[in-house]
Amino acid sequence: MVSKRFILKRLLLLVPVLFGVASLVFAILHLAPGDPARLIVGQRAPPSQVEAVRESLGLNDPLYVQYGRFLVDAAQFEFGDSYQVSRGNPVSQVIKTRLPVTVELALYGQVIGIALGIPLGIVSAVKQDSLTDHVTRVGALTGISVPIYWSGPLLILLFSAYLGIFPAAGRIGSTIFLDDHWVLFGRELPLTGMVTVDTLLLGRPDAWFSAVQHLFLPAMTIGVYSMALISRMMRSSMLEVVRQDYMRTARAKGQGAKITVLKHGFRNAFIPVITVIGIQFGTLLGGAVLTETVFGIGGVGTTLVEAISDSDYPVVQGIVLTFALLFTLVNLGVDITYSYLDPRIQQ
Amino acid sequence: MSREPTRRNFLKAAGGAAVATTATAGCLDSGGGGNGGGSLVYSRGDHPENYDPQQTTSGEVAKVTNQIYDQLIQFEPGSGGQLTEGLATEYSLEGTTATLTLREGVQFHNGEELTAEDARATIRRFIDEEYDYYLGENRSGYGAFTFGNWVDSVDANSDYELSIELVQQYAPFLRNLAMFAAAILSKAQIENLGADPESQVELGTDPKGTGAFTFEELDNGNERVRLSAYDDYWGDGPNVDEVVFTTVGQNSSRVQEVINGDAHITDNLDSQSSQQVQNSGSASLLSKNGINVGYMAFNMERVEAFRNRQVRRAVSLAVNTEAIVNDIYQGFAEQATQPLPPDVMGHNDSLEPYPQDKQQAQTLLEEAGATGLSFELATFSNPRGYNPSPVDTANQVRSDLEDVGMSVEINQFSDFGSYLDYTDAGRHDACFLGWYTDNADPDNFMYVLLDPKVDLEQVPEGQDWVSFDTEGYSPLNVAAWANNEYMQTVREAQASYDEATRRSLYEEASQLAYDEAPWVFIDYAQTLRAVNEAVAEDSYTVSSVGGPYLEMVSLN
Repeated sequence: MVSKRFILKRLLLLVPVLFGVASLVFAILHLAPGDPARLIVGQRAPPSQVEAVRESLGLNDPLYVQYGRFLVDAAQFEFGDSYQVSRGNPVSQVIKTRLPVTVELALYGQVIGIALGIPLGIVSAVKQDSLTDHVTRVGALTGISVPIYWSGPLLILLFSAYLGIFPAAGRIGSTIFLDDHWVLFGRELPLTGMVTVDTLLLGRPDAWFSAVQHLFLPAMTIGVYSMALISRMMRSSMLEVVRQDYMRTARAKGQGAKITVLKHGFRNAFIPVITVIGIQFGTLLGGAVLTETVFGIGGVGTTLVEAISDSDYPVVQGIVLTFALLFTLVNLGVDITYSYLDPRIQQ
Repeated sequence: MSREPTRRNFLKAAGGAAVATTATAGCLDSGGGGNGGGSLVYSRGDHPENYDPQQTTSGEVAKVTNQIYDQLIQFEPGSGGQLTEGLATEYSLEGTTATLTLREGVQFHNGEELTAEDARATIRRFIDEEYDYYLGENRSGYGAFTFGNWVDSVDANSDYELSIELVQQYAPFLRNLAMFAAAILSKAQIENLGADPESQVELGTDPKGTGAFTFEELDNGNERVRLSAYDDYWGDGPNVDEVVFTTVGQNSSRVQEVINGDAHITDNLDSQSSQQVQNSGSASLLSKNGINVGYMAFNMERVEAFRNRQVRRAVSLAVNTEAIVNDIYQGFAEQATQPLPPDVMGHNDSLEPYPQDKQQAQTLLEEAGATGLSFELATFSNPRGYNPSPVDTANQVRSDLEDVGMSVEINQFSDFGSYLDYTDAGRHDACFLGWYTDNADPDNFMYVLLDPKVDLEQVPEGQDWVSFDTEGYSPLNVAAWANNEYMQTVREAQASYDEATRRSLYEEASQLAYDEAPWVFIDYAQTLRAVNEAVAEDSYTVSSVGGPYLEMVSLN
């Protein structure tokens, strides 16, 4: 059983982590060159108008005043309105719309990574030094080494340009539009923003097929990377476990090889893999930035890239802090699972 | 006979469903024109979330608002800037008064009928601080540029008669009325939003115009905008039922969508993606001479040597613009000869690009005593239409100038806003910039980019440059060039309403700019579009100003 004290302690640790991230992102944004005011009004505006906009955005205030204002707002998870990316709309609205897109992509990527990585890792360990093992290891090494900005276009070239099986970009067929709510027992409920889920909630199988088709290549792109790391970790962890005395004892007592590996080996070998999966989720969120750009998916990653190039400070700050919060929460989840599997961790 | 639901049967059925679905990948609806004309998909590189023509400088917004809104006067599709009737059926400019007669029976998408009061409210919202519904700091730089610098007052003489009083004679004004930022908004919508700039911002999330398409849905999660055909549209078309603007940032993926048939039209192509289209069998590459110019400006205030015309001409002779255009821009642009691109009135056809002649450049530099000159060349890093490879271009310039004994230090900016601040303040020695026309008028290049906009008396005798901090100076002239003869010529042309006179004056000014070389004239970039074969031939016209004219497009 995971103690409440352990969870509370970890939650409190979030405060300094988020404070550090907030301060860092503020410093980077304000030390790096960039003028949101000029980008808002454009090349044709006279300098006086640029100055007026700068003033109205509070960018002429001393840096410590801007920093103080930002910290007070950030503590309430308020980041103000977007300067450019979603002009005049609150950043919270931007994140609310775009985050499910990225989370959906990362989740499917993770599912592909786990579904392929764990069995491959186990098989590779059990059949150590066999042809299967060598092929899996080389595959894993390739998966880790190939960058997303290369593998993404390569998949598009193969599956979209040559084979014409999957679409090159987007999340759903261009002309398929969904309602903005679904109805359950006569009550209107909001959708999740995850298109593969929403299409099912709305009872639109045609749209669901289209969404899955669109999601396949991007999810594979980040999933393969994840798979490679998970299978490598699973293999090495499993190799350690299969040499343990209790495994030999189980086999000596007449238990079948498969059952021994799956029942006794897997649970113990899985503990370090969970850590990798947790950390991987953060990496997948980062990877989603590149994947979204290549596949034209308007998630929070693409929005972050746009916001950086547009010097849209509120959006950048909001998204980076959301990423940080998500990442730390996932890690907390990992630690809780970890301590459930091995209660000694809580000590 | 019924089949048992075995595992094999289930897998067969699932496989069949998957094949059926994948077989339909890449197929879009198409129709035969008129009602039931299908869905037109236009893929673009960015998805802004505010569609108010007065709040934006983004071309990605303009291509959507141009479907929803109309201007009083419009550009003839594919003409390169010729004017035609829009919401005004008659228009004239005499002295300082523009008079327009509005089309009767035009309805906004919110059901209101168009009157001169709508046009008046539109202009006032953009520039009039006294107006309760003034957009304030949320207005784009086009406010002053289109109306604010020129308009004194706007009056609705009757429901359909509008008169605009200008502060001076200004020939390009009718063309300004055709710019995307001059789209006519509904007064009822403006005033229903509330009398403060914050409320006015909301207009961009539910724009109501008089255009061929109505704004139906802003799908930010999927980065799409859906427009529907407007049944009561006053003009011809539309021929499709709806237009969907999708978004794919990566050029190669966006073009692949058009090749696959997932989208019908896309734009902002680079040379690589253009070749991708050319090599495909299902899409074609349409091009048109662009009305734009890319250049390298000398800052005469900052570098004393640049005040000498011989030095500027020497640099122009040393830089291999032919290699830049053919090798770096891969032939999707042509060498520039002067500030005005070929399709604009006043372009001087007798001028040839400066030939690369390093020997002569060397001689000129020796005569000017400027051998061994060192200077900084500021450049942005991200591609822009008129300069798709800024860093490679800068390296070419550096290499060419090293051959004539000059030393160039490249100062690269990753952020375009900061870059403009830098050049606005005149902190560069030399810089790359460029310009896409707003209204296809020669004034939009000649006066805007090379006139300092200071009083003639402020330019000291015998000097052809001024300081950036001179009162009234416009930093759009990044060369600080203030040639008295040139200024007088373009100002006379700006105030003249006789086309032949204007043409002759601009040809003269173009010759002057060529001889004085305040810039190295680099290129005029082509306007490129990828179009899928599902679009009926000739129904889509590439336009270098205004548009895209999607109401004319039909699908096969």
